Amino acid sequence: MTELAVCAYCGAVHRRADLPGRTTARCVRCDAPLYHSTTEVSSMLGVAVIATAAFAIANAFPLITLTASGHQSRATLWAAIMASYNYRLPVVAAGLALTLIVAPLVELALLLWVLVPLSLRVRPPGFRFVMRAMAVLRPWRLVEVFLLGVIIAIVKLSGLATAVLGWGAFGITVMAIAMASLGSFDQGVLWRRAEEAR
Amino acid sequence: MKTAADLGVISCPLCELVMRSPDGDADCPRCGGFLPRVSRRGLTRCWALVIAAAALYVPANVLPMMNTEQFPIRRSDTILSGIKFLWSEGSWELAALVFAASILVPLTKLIVLGFLLVTSSRRSTWRPRVRTKLYRALEAIGHWSMLDVFVVSLLTAVVQLGRFASVEPGPAVLPFASVVVLTMLASASFDPRTIWVKS
Repeated sequence: MTELAVCAYCGAVHRRADLPGRTTARCVRCDAPLYHSTTEVSSMLGVAVIATAAFAIANAFPLITLTASGHQSRATLWAAIMASYNYRLPVVAAGLALTLIVAPLVELALLLWVLVPLSLRVRPPGFRFVMRAMAVLRPWRLVEVFLLGVIIAIVKLSGLATAVLGWGAFGITVMAIAMASLGSFDQGVLWRRAEEAR
Repeated sequence: MKTAADLGVISCPLCELVMRSPDGDADCPRCGGFLPRVSRRGLTRCWALVIAAAALYVPANVLPMMNTEQFPIRRSDTILSGIKFLWSEGSWELAALVFAASILVPLTKLIVLGFLLVTSSRRSTWRPRVRTKLYRALEAIGHWSMLDVFVVSLLTAVVQLGRFASVEPGPAVLPFASVVVLTMLASASFDPRTIWVKS
């Protein structure tokens, strides 16, 4: 039954076909995406490494620097989370930490855990658990929304003082693009590679 | 057009393995994930989450989201007055974007989820393709409503210029973030295959 693809949205059954280039097969009944064209594990690994480096930059450098009448203040990713905590909003702070640091960090670590052995044709330890954990975390990673938040914050600040984007904002931008691109890769290739490696 | 139910097969939602339908509840033999059958049980949970989110939508919009002090002026902004302020500051494009993300998206999600729940509960046969597209649109836009929560926390962190200016989060932040999380959980607990179940 490996030649079949079932639509997750309406249950329609399709026969799989090889897709050219980077394209997506869609359900004939409800038009939802069915599966993406297959990709190399090594290109997924490349994008994951870029995303990890960008995540490090996003955490290490300020997102925004503000200067007004001799005073200067900076906002890092961590400071944005702690700001809510300091104003007695620990639940909001925990939510921010989950969506901006924990979910992307754990997802990237698990992704590398899977991609490095698979690119060497070795089955990663705990493969099934890791794949399930990534699926649980994925909806809670909101880096791309945060990127738009940085842009809006800069515009709101421009009336108040001199606000400048920092290297952290560059890191967030690259990471958002890299993670979006990883989402358009075919996940099925990981399962097939893991079964071959066994 | 055959469906998985017609052929007696089931597809794992996680690893997409297609296999013969097991009798009763089972886990996927390849990835170990749970194999949910087309289930109407999720509809009840989805209703509960939509109602909770709708209730919190009121304080999220009525209470102030952000208090700003720029000596000697103090202002307190709700979501809507913050958008008006952004509009008058000259950036109507961004004001429109925030309006879409903070006001239109949560409201649309509540209305569309309510509509999908009513039609699925009644086993309606009205345009299933359109309803599936509505559901996919909800999945795609839902998390963008978190935008204003991120903006407030960034501004709070960066605007700490002593007596000169400061920003603090208002009481609407928690209910607003809760609306976003609850509607995300609600759309995740709705099984779109219930749209297509034959009457």
